[in-house]
This record gives sequence, structure tokens and C-alpha cells, in this order.
Amino acid sequence: MPVTATRTAGNTPAREARRGVLLQLVRPVARTVPWWALAAGGGLGLLAAALPRLSGGEVTPWAGVNALRAAALCFALGAAFLLDDPARQTTAAVPVRRVLRHALRCALVLPAAAVWWSAAVLLVPEEARPPAGDVTVEAATALALALAGAAFAVRRRGAGRPGQAVAASLLVAAVLAPLLTPSEWSLFTVPGDPRWADAHGHWTLLLCAALLAVAVCCVEPVRRRTLRTLRSPSRS
Amino acid sequence: MTTTTTTAPAPTPVTAPPGASWAAVSALARFETRKLLTRVPVVVAFAVYVAWTVWRTRVSFDGFPALQDADRATQDAPLLVGLAVLLSANHAMLRSRRHDTERHLDVLVLPRWGRTVAHLLSVVAAALLVAVCVGGQFAWEALKPGAVGHGSPGELLVGPLSVLLLGGFGVLLARLVTAPFAAPLLIVLLLFLATFLGFSDDGWTRWLMPSVGTYSVVTLPSDLIGRPAAWHALYLGGLALTLMTAAVLLSGGARLRTAQAAVACAVALTLAGAVGQSRGVPESVTEARVRASVTPEKVHTCVERDATTYCAFPEWTPRTGDWARTVDDVRALAGGDAQDRPLVVRQRVEARYGLDADATLPPLTRPGEVTVGTAWGGNRVPEFAVAVAGALVTGSEATAGGMCDGRMVTVMWLALADRPDPVADLRRVRIDDSDTGSAIVVSRTEPLQMTSAQTELLRELLELPRDEAAAKVKAGWAELTAPKVTTDRVARVLGLEKPEGENECL
Repeated sequence: MPVTATRTAGNTPAREARRGVLLQLVRPVARTVPWWALAAGGGLGLLAAALPRLSGGEVTPWAGVNALRAAALCFALGAAFLLDDPARQTTAAVPVRRVLRHALRCALVLPAAAVWWSAAVLLVPEEARPPAGDVTVEAATALALALAGAAFAVRRRGAGRPGQAVAASLLVAAVLAPLLTPSEWSLFTVPGDPRWADAHGHWTLLLCAALLAVAVCCVEPVRRRTLRTLRSPSRS
Repeated sequence: MTTTTTTAPAPTPVTAPPGASWAAVSALARFETRKLLTRVPVVVAFAVYVAWTVWRTRVSFDGFPALQDADRATQDAPLLVGLAVLLSANHAMLRSRRHDTERHLDVLVLPRWGRTVAHLLSVVAAALLVAVCVGGQFAWEALKPGAVGHGSPGELLVGPLSVLLLGGFGVLLARLVTAPFAAPLLIVLLLFLATFLGFSDDGWTRWLMPSVGTYSVVTLPSDLIGRPAAWHALYLGGLALTLMTAAVLLSGGARLRTAQAAVACAVALTLAGAVGQSRGVPESVTEARVRASVTPEKVHTCVERDATTYCAFPEWTPRTGDWARTVDDVRALAGGDAQDRPLVVRQRVEARYGLDADATLPPLTRPGEVTVGTAWGGNRVPEFAVAVAGALVTGSEATAGGMCDGRMVTVMWLALADRPDPVADLRRVRIDDSDTGSAIVVSRTEPLQMTSAQTELLRELLELPRDEAAAKVKAGWAELTAPKVTTDRVARVLGLEKPEGENECL
């Protein structure tokens, strides 16, 4: 086989084979990425980011930062559908681990997300634009939480299309978070607030936690840890 | 005999379908209700709603609610449940599509519109659960010993009807757009538009939102509120019914006469409600507001207790006892003729701006008259005590407002000495929550001023045993209440050290 002939290049046959499969996977994975959900989320997000500018009049920093937060939430809600794959049960047998398949999906979307976010930030008028780095951390946290939720649903329940449930949970959490955040652990601050820097320390912590959750949840469990007695007969 | 046995089962399949289909709808509705009420977003929303409501209602309105305010306080939190119900009902409606079982369901006894009705009934169940919560919250407020006034059924219906409206919208949305990402994204758009456009709007468009807030925190008598609560409830109910019947029509029920008639009725109700709520404040309410603000004595009910007359709006007469306790406490400490001088406690409210703006009241100029507001409990109690003491020491509310001399010490001591924690109450009546230095003392009418020296002297006086201080005040009453008495003179009369702080009014 040609795979064994390339052993001299320093790569093990298994790794070589995996790379080959991964390259072959790019096209089919790209076709199963729910582009419509991402486009709808992104489009609505751009509308939200542009609304302060479109509404005319002076744009306050409060309006600017909240428009960007709404935009980030829209995109994150679209991204909650990223891991939806109706054919998951049939593709589980491919010789590429789930973490790589998920990573491939994310890698396909991330460049588009970066371009989209730059556009959203630029749509907010300059005088009302919050510090770009800080607000990007907030957006990345929302995105990472959406992906962590989807990956968790896939890992725990083997769900084919966890997107809608994850989006609903993310949205309820997003509505509740500003109401329930304790005042001493600030998150949703406005530029110019003395707690802005503190809040973004908290956002960075959250981002790290969410990324860790994504990394943990993307790995396929070696053994399903479900209590047999609690499972419904139809699932077993 | 054999003919009866063979013909008996025959009619059953002929007559069964209409009845069986409703039985199937109700069975499916029970299943969907159980599913809907156990979905994670709905459970979380209900948990947060109930916890938040219980937490807030424990201490709301300082324990003295006016029920015409308490009914409005039930409106906002159910929107959270409505949001979760919207998402979950939409999710449940799309379940058969997600699992590709639509074709299998089509061969069952239940038509497509029947399944939609079952989903709508599950939304109704969630709305009923919210109605129970709203009823519980209002009943709790109404059972508080300090409750006065009357609630409005129209305001109480807003919470459950909002849930019905949002849930019905979720069901309709699933029939309009089958994409699973439509509902969450649409909600973000709605929230965002409500944040940016909802608050800036004035006039009739404001009433198109489910829950309509007020710009003012003043408590008005219930007949002066002037909110079209019943019309708004009709509008919300009509709109919810319109969305729900539209969902049935779109699910293949377009040929059902009942559904067509229901849509027509629902649209008519919505329009009637929308027109009714947009007509603004009625003329009669505006006149009543002017009457209550300018000549409140015409609508007051007066009660006499000891030497004090309490004149209040009829809904507040049960609160006379609470006011009388405060007045009696202050009078008991006073000397001279102040203990049994006639005093009139007059309840006043600025109602001319309705619930759109807050306004201050001018002080009463007639001697021996004191203003009391419509709110009670918390900071309102020491504020009222200060007003009573001011009228007893200076003669009238207007002169107490302009006072800038040593009498301030006596006024504040009379007001605070009988309170459970005088220094804490001193902080509560001062605008900057301080207990040293100079400050403004808040009042229902004109604010009072305390200098640093007066604060220092008052703190010294409050540190003395109460009876000893009371004896000193009573002994020196004539000098302590003489106009233009200096703070140093007051200190000498009371036998206290001369204060060192600033003694200049602002």
C-alpha cells in the first residue's frame, strides 16, 4: 500500500492515514455545516450592530456596547447549531476521532466569524465603540459557551441536532445573567465604568472555563456513563 | 338474538371519530403539557421567577403595600417565563420535523390542526400556572397587615396573558418558519428592539407592548390611576387568541368554520382593545386628579383621635392607627402646650401628572397642619415624625421648612428619640445617609437643614438616657422652641457641651 511506502518521512502510517482522511473530510464536513443558521445569526447580528448608527442621533457608549453584545449573542445563537449533524450516528464509525471532526467544523467557521466580528465592530460609530479587545473577549465567551453547550449535548446524549435546545438554554442564560450577576462580581459594565477592567478579568476567566469545557466535551467518551436504570427503554 | 350481537359493534366506528379525536387532542395536550413544563428553560425560568418573586415580596413596599401598585408589580417577571415558553413550545412544535416523524403522524387519528391545538393547550396550562403564581403574589401583598387600596383585575391579568401571547407566538412561528434557529434569533431581535425603541416611545404605541411600566413611583388613589388596564388585558387576550387561531388555520384548519369564526372574533377583540387603550386618560379622571391635588379636603375622610384629626383619602383610613402611633410618640416627648395642641394630619398627593412624573408638594401654611404622603413604612415613618415635630415646635409646616436655628435640635430629637434605633433613623432621613456633619433632611414637602453643630448636639442628646433628656427638653421647652434661638443657647439650656462644628445654614 502507498501508505507504508512513506514511512521513511518520519510519520507513522496511522498519522499519515489520519491526515489523508481529514483532508478528505473537509468537503463533506463543509457541506454539513449549518451555514443557514450561521448566516441568519450573523445577518441579524450585523443588523443589531448597525441599529444605533441607523437610528440616527448621537450614539452613547451604552448603546454601542449593548449593540455589540446583542450582535455577539445573535452569532453565538447561530453557532449553537454548528455541531448539528443529522447523520451523526452513521458517521461515528469514520477513523477520525470526534475531537478532530469537531475541530474541523470550528476551523471552517472561525475565519468567517473573525471577518464578521470585525465588520460588526466597525459598524458601531467610533465615538461609541468600546475597547475592541475587551468586547471581543465578551463575544468569544458567548461563542465558546454556545460551542461548549453543543459539544456537551453531543457527548452526553449523542444528540443529532442539539442546536435548538442549546440555543434556548443560551438565550435564557443570556437574559438571566445581567439580572442575577451579583454586584460585586461585575460582568455587564459600560465603558468608562471603574469596574470595566475587573469585569473583563471575569470575562477572561469565563472564556477560559468555556474553552476548557469545549475541549473536554469534544472528546468522545471511552465508555458511556449513563445509569442504565434511568434510561428510557426506547433509548437503550 | 343473534342479529343484535352482530349489529351491535357496527355503529361504534361510525360515531366514534369526532369524540375520539377530542379525546386524542386532550391526551396529546396532557403529554405536551408535561413535556413543556419539564423542559430545562421553562423549569429554570419558573424557578427564577418564583424565587425572585418570593425574595422581593418579603420586603416589598416596606410592608405597607397599596394594592393599586402591587397589582402592577406582578407584570414584569412573568415575561421571563413567557420567553422560555415561547422557545420551548416552538421547539416542541418542530419535534416531529426534527425527528422526521411528520409522515408517521399523518396516518394517525389526529389531524395536523388537532396536534397544533394540543400544543396550544400546553401553552394555556403554562399560562394558568403563571396565573396561580400571580394570584399568590397578590394575595400575599393583600394579606399584609399594612395593605390598603384596591387591585385591578386588568393589571393582574397582564402577566398570564403575556405568557399566553408569547407561547402562542412560539407555536405560530413553528408553523410559519420551520428553521429551528428562527425562534431564538427572533427573540433577540425583539428584546433588542424593545430596549432601543420601547422606552423612547410615548403615547399610544407604548401600550402595544405586553407590560407597560410607569415613569413615576408615586402611589395614587386607585380611582386616579387612569391606566386603561381592562382594555389592555382585552388587547393582550385578543392578540394571544389571534396568534393561536392563526396557528390552527395554518395547520390545515382553514376549512373549519369554528376556526374561521374564532379568528374573526379574536381580531375584533384585539382591535377593540387596541382602540380602547389608546384613548388616553378620561376627562373625569383628570378632573378628579386636579380635585385630589388642589383641594384634597373635599375628598378626605376625617377621623379624630385625642387632639389630632387625621384626614385621609378614603382608601387610606385603615392606616390612621399607624400615623397616630407616630404622632403620639412625638407628642409624648414634647413640653408646654404641644402635648395637647390641636393638630391636623392631612394626606396629600400630587396627582395632576398621573403616573408620568414625580412632583414635590408645597408645605402647608395653615398652623398645626402636617402633610402625610400615600406611602408608609421604611424611611417614610421617620420623615413623617420629623414633619410632626417641626409643626409642634415651629407652629406650621411652612415655618419648619425655612427654619435655620437651634430649634432644629429639638425637632430632630422629638422625631427620633422614641424610635427603636434613633441614629439609624437619623441616617435614613438625611439625604446623604450620614450621621455627622451638615446635611439636608428629606421631607414630603420642603426639606430641612441641619448644620454640623446641630448634628453634634443632637447626637450628644440622643446618647443621654431618654427620660433624662425628656425631662431637660420639657423643662427648657419655652426657650428651646423660641424663634431664632442659637445652637449654643440650646446647648446651655440642655446642660450639654457647646458644639465645636460649623453652624452656618447652606
